[in-house]
Amino acid sequence: MQDLTVDYEAEGGTGRAVSGVSFELGPGDSLGVLGESGCGKTTTALAILRILPKTARVIGTIRFLGRHLFQLRERDLQKVRGADISMIFQEPAMMLSPVKRAGDQVSEVIRAHTGESWRECRGEALARLSEVGFESASRIYASYPHQLSGGEQQRVVIAQALACRPALVVADEPTSSLDLGTQAEILDLLSDLKERLGIALLVISHDPGVLAKLATRIVVMRHGAIVEQGALGQVFQQPQSAYTQSLLVARATSPLAPRRLVPVLQSASEDAVKARTLPDVKADQMPAPQRAEPELSADKGSPRYQEPLVSVRGLSKRYQHRRGLKTFGIQALDNVDLDIAAGSTIALIGESGAGKSTLALCLARLEQPDAGEILLAGRNLLKVPRPELAPVRRKIQLIFQDSTQALSPRISAAEVVREPLDIGSLGISTERHGRALELMEQVGLSAAWARRSPLEFSGGQRQRLAIARALALQPSLLILDEALTGLDLPIQAEIIDLLVELQGVHRLTYLYISHDLSLVERVADEVVVMHQGRIVERAGTAELFRCPSHPHTQALLGARLALEAALPREA
Amino acid sequence: MRYVVTRLIHSAALLVGVSMLTFIFLRLAPGDFFTDLRLNPQVSAQTVADLRAQAGLDQPLPVTYVRWLKSVARGDLGLSLAYNARVAPLLWDRARNTLLLAGTAMLLAWLIAIVAGLSSAARPHGIADRLIGGGTSLLLGVPELVLALGLLALAARTGRFPTGGMVSLGFAKLNLTGKLKDVVLHAALPVAALVLGALPVLVRHVRASVLEVLQAPFIQAARAHGIPRRRVLFGYALPAAANPLASLFGLSVAALLSGSLLVEVVMGWPGMGPLLLEAILARDLYVVIGAVMFSAAFLVGGNLVADALLYTVDPRIRAR
Repeated sequence: MQDLTVDYEAEGGTGRAVSGVSFELGPGDSLGVLGESGCGKTTTALAILRILPKTARVIGTIRFLGRHLFQLRERDLQKVRGADISMIFQEPAMMLSPVKRAGDQVSEVIRAHTGESWRECRGEALARLSEVGFESASRIYASYPHQLSGGEQQRVVIAQALACRPALVVADEPTSSLDLGTQAEILDLLSDLKERLGIALLVISHDPGVLAKLATRIVVMRHGAIVEQGALGQVFQQPQSAYTQSLLVARATSPLAPRRLVPVLQSASEDAVKARTLPDVKADQMPAPQRAEPELSADKGSPRYQEPLVSVRGLSKRYQHRRGLKTFGIQALDNVDLDIAAGSTIALIGESGAGKSTLALCLARLEQPDAGEILLAGRNLLKVPRPELAPVRRKIQLIFQDSTQALSPRISAAEVVREPLDIGSLGISTERHGRALELMEQVGLSAAWARRSPLEFSGGQRQRLAIARALALQPSLLILDEALTGLDLPIQAEIIDLLVELQGVHRLTYLYISHDLSLVERVADEVVVMHQGRIVERAGTAELFRCPSHPHTQALLGARLALEAALPREA
Repeated sequence: MRYVVTRLIHSAALLVGVSMLTFIFLRLAPGDFFTDLRLNPQVSAQTVADLRAQAGLDQPLPVTYVRWLKSVARGDLGLSLAYNARVAPLLWDRARNTLLLAGTAMLLAWLIAIVAGLSSAARPHGIADRLIGGGTSLLLGVPELVLALGLLALAARTGRFPTGGMVSLGFAKLNLTGKLKDVVLHAALPVAALVLGALPVLVRHVRASVLEVLQAPFIQAARAHGIPRRRVLFGYALPAAANPLASLFGLSVAALLSGSLLVEVVMGWPGMGPLLLEAILARDLYVVIGAVMFSAAFLVGGNLVADALLYTVDPRIRAR
């Protein structure tokens, strides 16, 4: 790739997404692209295959095996796509057609590029599925995507990508939407296949751990341009650019670190909010292991004994579904007992399917459990009569993972924040707008942005908006269901700082649901581990990470350590 | 399996309900078949009363209803007072013609709608899209009655198409190909009227549904795999867009059926339309009920087909 420049034309003007990016990739090589969201890495990848939206204007040269890709006609390019260069996108569930069988989708790719009969293609597809580690390839072939787990779907996608034995595979955030254990599996699979098949790999990620496993060389991108490049070990251990350093630092973990993060990132956050970019981090402010003193009381380490805010007793929920004549049941929650003390920060971890989200939904009364009770300040939430439900409901609020879907794009930001007030008819109508602006300021969003649509905000800012909306009703308990997943690490750090601040000001209690253990380590007082609908372990954060007692917890932590070990660390 | 059985039970219950309602409405309407006869001074009131009793029209409502049910069980659907013949064979003849008309129109309309909708959605605001959009807007604005009359006028002016009926006079003497050609010629205009009337709604829905699906990430992924454009449209976009369209199918059956009534009467196609109209005007009770029930059955059948279609096409429905 030489001097690639991509501009997007929009109504307001032209925005430059990528400027002057150049790199080389040899056969069998692997290159990682590290950067935050919005830095242009995905655009660069899409440009290779020329599948950018129509509003994109591309200049530059991309040569593949000596051919100029931009000079090819659409018909010839179609032959290259999928067969010589193939792509793996971020969310496997979205990459597969929901109404086609998984195996058929692999066969389709083979059929598109070879003249073989359907039966031959099917045979090849089955072989590919076995290759990616499916024991029962024919069962997977016949399944529909929604019947497969996230990890299985991603394997199918990988089978699709490798179906025609391409020379180059471009993987855009291949594991971001998967939980930790599955992430490790998929990364192992990818690195294994890379070795065996000798394919060149271009991996894009915001997570240095992922790149450490797959790439030998690294390119760091920011605002569409390359900031640094070099061999992986060198860039990670001796980053030349301060920006790279900041990316790597946000990832650093130390179990005993106080929860307020580095002052550099803190001052950066104010500017970032106004300018929507991360400003230059000065070299002399680079962090060392020292951290800022937390402003909150230090003895928040252990929750003081008091009447718990929320008590869950014997909660059970079973989901049934029918396939043909058989009925399958999944016990999502199995006699769960949980106490959450007021003012504490509890993290709920476990693999996907363990029941964490179901618990959150039951707490928020969005799902009806089959048995058990939920006591909020002594009152059983499940038995509250209809007319009295509204004020009780306000006490527990949810923040979801996908802020794009959680905020209505059709109303302005201020209206989003004021919606709960409108629904509950709280306060006088004229006051509500003012209150909405106040809340926006509290979460670090400028009131001048009140009229903008949520879509115009970045991911981190949308989550701030979601937080503002949740605060509108003055809740006691805030449940964050994977709310920080998918955000870039520096932004995560800012949001965590914000949440810690708000906790002090509003006396909130947090329940974090996450599969990201470094995040959990940073924020939680106590960790609760769930497995197959049951709580298997509960302990203070430091204790749990140091010596987990339950075998399942040990397995979870083990998976993370493997990933972290791949990252070269400072001595 | 359970799904199918439940739907069948629902459909049966629906038909029973429709029959009861129709019966009640007809009886509530003033007068009956013999009302006109009473105005004739040459016929005595006694004769009329006797005729009424003979036809069973003086019995209370539930009794007549049960008698009708029995006739359904017997298969003759009662007696037509106007034709003095059993209703069932009378209806069946006409119903066949209506089915021919409506069935062909449905098939054609959907085929054209899918192709037109796909072309429009594949290149939004392109030439094909603008033309199709303009055409459907025009058709939407024209009432079906006017369409039918317009086509009739066309037939009369050009003399290429017959202006009524299903078959020509010398039909029986033609060979098979000749017979086929004859029917096709006669059916062409009524079918055209029905199709043109139904097209705008169908095309727009197909277009909207496909357009939405084309935004989905898996379409972009398919493109990234080098799958040719046409295959993406027909093999990926259309099946994914089928869900709302299957429901529309059920609705379109209803629309087409009521449309066919009008078209048959105006264009002289010997289907159930003219029969029903006559029977209503003459208050020929059993013919009306029979015709209404038949239409209801056709509708219910169409919806069952739509549900079955949905079930086969969308695996997510099956999972529930």
